[in-house]
Amino acid sequence: MKRSLQAVALTVAAASAFGLSAGKSYSAGKAVEADPAAKVEYSGTLSVLTKFGLQQLSPYFIDLAKEYEKLHPGVKVELIQESDDSVKGKTKTLVASNSLTDVYFSWTGSWGGNFVRGNRAVDLSKVIGPDTDWGKSLVPAAVQAFQYNGKYYGIPLYLDAKFMGYNKQIFSKLGLSAPANFEQLLSSCDTIKKAGIEPISLGNKEAWPVVHFIGQLLAYDVPRETLERDFNPKTAKFDDPGYVEALAQFKELADRCTNGATMNGESYASALQAFSNGKSAMYYQEIIEFDQSAGPDSALKQADFGFFVLPVPAGAKGDPKAVEGAPEGYMINTASKNIPLAIDFMKFVTSKEHGQVLSAPPYGQPSATVGGASEANMSPALVDGLKVLKSASYLMPWLDTANSPRVAAAWLSSLQALSGGSMSPEQVMDQVKEAAVADAKK
Amino acid sequence: MAVTGVNSGAVTYGAATGQGASGTPRSRLRNLLSFRWVAVAVILIGWFVYYPIVDNFIVSTTDQDIFTGEVSDVGLANYDRLLHDPVVWTSLWNNSLYAVISIVFQVFGAFLLAAIIEGLGSERLRRFWRAIYFVPSAISITVTGLLFYFIYQPEIGLLDAALRSVGLDALVKPWLGDPKTAIYAIIAMSQWQGFGYSTLLFAIAIQKIPRELYDAAIIDGAGPSRRLWSITFPLTREMTGLMIIITITGAFQVFNEVMVMTAGGPNNSSQVLGTWLYQQGFIENNFGYGAAIAGVIFVVTMVTGIAQLLYTRRRRVQF
Repeated sequence: MKRSLQAVALTVAAASAFGLSAGKSYSAGKAVEADPAAKVEYSGTLSVLTKFGLQQLSPYFIDLAKEYEKLHPGVKVELIQESDDSVKGKTKTLVASNSLTDVYFSWTGSWGGNFVRGNRAVDLSKVIGPDTDWGKSLVPAAVQAFQYNGKYYGIPLYLDAKFMGYNKQIFSKLGLSAPANFEQLLSSCDTIKKAGIEPISLGNKEAWPVVHFIGQLLAYDVPRETLERDFNPKTAKFDDPGYVEALAQFKELADRCTNGATMNGESYASALQAFSNGKSAMYYQEIIEFDQSAGPDSALKQADFGFFVLPVPAGAKGDPKAVEGAPEGYMINTASKNIPLAIDFMKFVTSKEHGQVLSAPPYGQPSATVGGASEANMSPALVDGLKVLKSASYLMPWLDTANSPRVAAAWLSSLQALSGGSMSPEQVMDQVKEAAVADAKK
Repeated sequence: MAVTGVNSGAVTYGAATGQGASGTPRSRLRNLLSFRWVAVAVILIGWFVYYPIVDNFIVSTTDQDIFTGEVSDVGLANYDRLLHDPVVWTSLWNNSLYAVISIVFQVFGAFLLAAIIEGLGSERLRRFWRAIYFVPSAISITVTGLLFYFIYQPEIGLLDAALRSVGLDALVKPWLGDPKTAIYAIIAMSQWQGFGYSTLLFAIAIQKIPRELYDAAIIDGAGPSRRLWSITFPLTREMTGLMIIITITGAFQVFNEVMVMTAGGPNNSSQVLGTWLYQQGFIENNFGYGAAIAGVIFVVTMVTGIAQLLYTRRRRVQF
């Protein structure tokens, strides 16, 4: 018996020793450059991770996959469709287990930078660079947004930006018009509240909706070069007084325009629903949500839907013409066994014809393909939104994808505390600075 | 019936057959050959149970970047960070709260309910109530999470509406959005879901108690509460002990409930060790630190597991 136990112990020790040698199993990719002359082998399976997991968006990629498979019978397209929230965790799980799909969704900024840093994104410069045929078929600024170290790594699919959607009917009944400045917005909120209507429906259970408000206010209150310095973990300081000012402005907006502390118990989807049902006068939303807010099936009809850029507070020292937003797109895995096929599939996805489908209701995602965002097919608000977007002097990236994960997490959690009233703007900035200092030490 | 210690009647195979002497080369060879029968199981357990534990400890002494594959040894720095991380202490507190409240409801509450149900005269009624209480356990946590989100929702939620309707407006609050109530709201949902399952287990344990004991007690003039505390409770204490251990272990492994309801918010107030581990590993890219948190969960659940082994060995009830 004793010897059997010894044998068991020995076996376990051996297994553990193997564990020691195999413990550090993450493997970085190798730098891969796309070859424009590579022949496409139309065979095998192509895996694609999308951010179109929502019920109303998921048919887009399903239909494209079917169409592509019909065109190329030897190819099978496997889709993993995630939502905006779940795609972050899913992507990192796939990276950690070296199972990243051939084509995967990516934001711009530090999120996409992670894949470039780890050689997990194919350098597409020779196939999608500004001088290439494919590059010329896409909106130049969108291609540019996926540029890292002078090379192009991403395939932009659509353009996104944040606007304040409003119910024109409620506004006109109360004698209000789209506010021209921040102070006017606050006084409009007072009028709407007095009429017994929720001025801005805001659900912050997921924590990022308030981060989006702050992002736009920071673009107004903090000079662009300071913001960009602070996006970099090595140079981040977060010492500009504009940060605290922006947070104080948001707090005032939250107190006067929203249901206050209850926002942390409400999801962003419920808030969108409240606006869509005509229960609230405004909802701060992405341009890609316009068609979800107002459509044939909702109480709020397209004709009653209006939007404006979050107005600029008086005395703001940043860029008053900045708009928060960025293109979103896809990258190709360096470990993919069939990179030319992955590129071919994405060329198919970003064709003008498919761009028009993507831009039109019910999807309402303004295509990054030139001619894809066709005015003939898009809802009028989306057309106008794109015009505003094109005239923006600076596209302020999303704070939670522009900053390092640790700093982003500090923004998310401490802004929930600010919204709930348990933290002051100064305390929020202390948390963010602390996270930035810890990041710099890494 | 007797309450005995463990192995009182157990006889080892070697002692019974006289093969206990293992000094001769032949018996040594026999022992070695006998090992092959368990070798596969031992290898599998070693690979799937012990190797990950060792590997987790190794990972916890490193700082890893999943994107670049860079790994640097940091010694026990992650454990040092763990001691100074206020969210870890919040998580530990929340896990402990989860355990204590779950013991009250899912062990003692479920025991009482099971005793009441099993005391009903009609078998059809007993089946009916067992099924009624078990139904929530059969619902997926995602569905339950969504259901309770709408109950707790501050604008249109059932709970706040009920409070308003009886004039308790002062108690109305965003249950999941208030740092003071978020974890309690999640724990309450968990009790609703787990209560029926525990009740069913206690009902099975009560059914095993011989009917004659109750008959004898009734003849002796014992009332229902006397029978409950003098017969039912002591004779189900093995199940009670087991349920306490399972509840504590479950409370320290809780993840889904929190993830679905609040994801640890607002401002990390409802974080538990499982969700903080996930946040560190999969959101903040700190897999080394996440592994250190996993180590804490392992130690707590292992200590509870050992307690379970000791308890069930010493307190076994035989009829």
